[in-house]
Amino acid sequence: MSKPDTTPSGWLETRLPIVSAFRREYVDFAMPRNLTYLWNFGAFATIALALLIVSGIFLALNYTPSVAEAFNSIEMIDRHVSSGWLVRAIHMGGVSMLFAALYVHMARSLYYGSYKAPRELLWLTGLGLFILVMIAAFAGYILPWGQMSYWGATVVINAMNAVPLIGPALASWLLGGEGLGSVALHRIYVLHFVTGFSIVGVIVLHVAALHVVGSNNPTGVEPKASDDVVPFHPYYTTKDGLGLCLFLMVYAALIFFVPDLLTLANNYAMANPLVTPGDITPEWYFAPFYAILRAVPSKLGGLILSAGSLAVLFAVPWLDRSRVKSARYRPMLRWAILGLFLTFIALGVAGMHKPTGLWLAISRVSVAYYYAYFLILLPLLPKIEVTRPLPASLRGESV
Amino acid sequence: MSRRIASLLFYLGSGSCFDVDTFLWPPDDHFILFKQDFMTQDADRPTSSPSCPLPGGGTRRRDVLSTVIVGAGCVGACALAYPFLDSLNGTKNTTLGEDDSIDVDIAALRPGQQLVVTWRGWPVFIQRRTPEMLASLKATDIVQHLRDPDSKILQQPKDAMNWHRSVVPEIGVLIGICTHLGCVPSYATPSANDKAGKYSCPCHGSQFDAAGRVYKEAPAPYNLPVPPVTMLSATQLRIGQSKGDPAFSIASIQQI
Amino acid sequence: MKRYLLVTLMALPLTAQASTPEQRGFQVYRQVCATCHSLNQVHFADLTGIGLAVPDIKAYAASHQVPDGVDDDGDPKTRAAHLTDPIGSPYPNEAMARLANHGDVPPDFSRLAMTEEGGAKRIETILRSYAPKPVDVVLGPGSYYNTAFAQNHIGMPPPLRDGQVAYADGTKATIPQMAQDVGAFLDWVAHPHRVARSDTGLVVLAYLAGMTVLLALLKRRVWKRLKESRQ
Repeated sequence: MSKPDTTPSGWLETRLPIVSAFRREYVDFAMPRNLTYLWNFGAFATIALALLIVSGIFLALNYTPSVAEAFNSIEMIDRHVSSGWLVRAIHMGGVSMLFAALYVHMARSLYYGSYKAPRELLWLTGLGLFILVMIAAFAGYILPWGQMSYWGATVVINAMNAVPLIGPALASWLLGGEGLGSVALHRIYVLHFVTGFSIVGVIVLHVAALHVVGSNNPTGVEPKASDDVVPFHPYYTTKDGLGLCLFLMVYAALIFFVPDLLTLANNYAMANPLVTPGDITPEWYFAPFYAILRAVPSKLGGLILSAGSLAVLFAVPWLDRSRVKSARYRPMLRWAILGLFLTFIALGVAGMHKPTGLWLAISRVSVAYYYAYFLILLPLLPKIEVTRPLPASLRGESV
Repeated sequence: MSRRIASLLFYLGSGSCFDVDTFLWPPDDHFILFKQDFMTQDADRPTSSPSCPLPGGGTRRRDVLSTVIVGAGCVGACALAYPFLDSLNGTKNTTLGEDDSIDVDIAALRPGQQLVVTWRGWPVFIQRRTPEMLASLKATDIVQHLRDPDSKILQQPKDAMNWHRSVVPEIGVLIGICTHLGCVPSYATPSANDKAGKYSCPCHGSQFDAAGRVYKEAPAPYNLPVPPVTMLSATQLRIGQSKGDPAFSIASIQQI
Repeated sequence: MKRYLLVTLMALPLTAQASTPEQRGFQVYRQVCATCHSLNQVHFADLTGIGLAVPDIKAYAASHQVPDGVDDDGDPKTRAAHLTDPIGSPYPNEAMARLANHGDVPPDFSRLAMTEEGGAKRIETILRSYAPKPVDVVLGPGSYYNTAFAQNHIGMPPPLRDGQVAYADGTKATIPQMAQDVGAFLDWVAHPHRVARSDTGLVVLAYLAGMTVLLALLKRRVWKRLKESRQ
């Protein structure tokens, strides 16, 4: 037993071992040595979230959640609060960057089988996080009380009303009884930041789950020997740091040079309950789900398909029974999953257009393939595919 | 040199021996493998940092790159913090010399009466003084009770540095904020018992005479401030500008 | 005598300074558009952003009356606008705006260049596309012929005519010129802090590019150690 540590950090360590915990989890933690840059995106998402929370708090200092004042308070932030335009830009840009990082992060997990045993809970907590992020984003978008805010909220709340049994009650709780007005806005405001803070808590669970089982890697072969792994610091701190700089460069280019690229200009007009804008489109990150919603003529059917597209993701660890994790070694799945990614992108583009003619056809085909991938291909492929031989260790075939 | 400074900062910051090089380059056998198979006990870990006086730089290479990156990263983080902290200033960023004077009509003000208006968010008392009130201001016997009878401390523009603390003796204009802790003093209208009229602050008992001069026993340290006033006519006055002291700014007084 | 003439001649260009499109556009707004259109989110003080002199802005603000509560008789009273007040609407309320404009409210200008599809260029095109109504076209009251629209009509009467505004720097005030200037002014109004945004962006991107290079070097150095020691 070493002699008692009399330094200040030693004092802290005996009372709350955060120093050693930090060292164990974020310095010495063993990571597979072959992770690509695709493994950086969880860290990017965390940084985007941190920026969203900090900018959100500072925006909250100047925002008023009432129908009369919401739009004006945001204009005040944008025009007259010192550096308010920048705080707002960081917040608006942060949402797009967060969703972008999350989509890549989830795609990585689907491709490399990071949802398979023993990482099922990691996948489930991650999906829970994604749903919380969607709720927070939806609520946050209503707050400026622009045309798109109001009518997007109207569409979603009407969709919520269509859910059997619990729908009308949920919608009524959200609205506070009357139609979409100050009471609803105030509740949505509280929903927005409570959800945001909850996300931080669930991230703790997600990372804790990760640290029990360790990261997956591009081969899907678990580390077996000590030279399969490297310590998180300095290897992945530097790799994450480099990736983060590139991520932040895209973020900065977005908010400083093309701020109107991803925002819907119509939201700069104050909400008018009597006039619906010609084209209601959601923000780009919700477009795929919006396309699914409008792919079928039935209101409830569209809702079921759209919610189902998320629900089916929860079942993925049990739908896919292949023992081979990584799509690198599953040639048939590789094509199928690339098709899935293209389908999702197609749904996104279709969601930004009116659901007629070609776009409707694309939506329908895409929804069909999306469900076919999860419900048919994933369970079926392990039975019929020929996988490439797995390498002996994650260091690759050469060893 | 910069490495020594970085090491010193890390050392001071962490309160324990913390070497830049060890931070950036933990020794190879220094990490624990996760998972049940590889879990090692804490006792098996090699003793962590080598005994570390301030690094002399002998055996370790200079790590300029890491130091520069960490330093530049800190600079970037501070720069990122700037807009957030700046936003706390709110919308109070006009440096354009706003003219927020107000014009007040005092035609209906009776002698002994006080009118209260708002200027810059402050209550401003406008009195029409009776001859008895004026006489009491000149009287010598209360002077000994006052902290600053001659208005020597800067609480008023130059044209109010007189025995009546105003532009014209009959009209008194005072900012109604007690110089103790900011409550609004109540006005005791001159009556048969007390022809002088005075102000009493309900919060901690400070008392001021009809010209706002503070009594010695009061916890308040200074006289009530006088705003810059211009008499536009016998019945109109403008608060916010002073013809007799054009350069006066209310921000320059000792304490509001 | 000749010396005085020379000095006067040299001083002349200094008095008739060239103005920017935004400044000219503001002049058109002030003299033409402000009769009907509001600018609810822009404060008088913001006009320093297009280079207007503070005394001019103060005079402009002083010429506006804004509601100031009630007087002692209980009647609403007004005061001159402060620099921190919004430039606001020519109408005291929405009902008056509709009354004066056959049932429509002239849109607020604060973000029009953003919400109008096609932006400031579209606004300029609309202003330039008024034409005499062809004989065979029937328009209801309150509709005016304008070729910029699919249905060839707009609710706004033609606001501009040649020579309507006397620009301070002598630029000829033709309809295309005024349309372009108004477009530039509205573009500036709809994009607050545009210059600060791009300036800050350049600094941030330069910093991040530098950090990327440094981190790339460090990352390579760290990972090379792996290749060396663990073959």
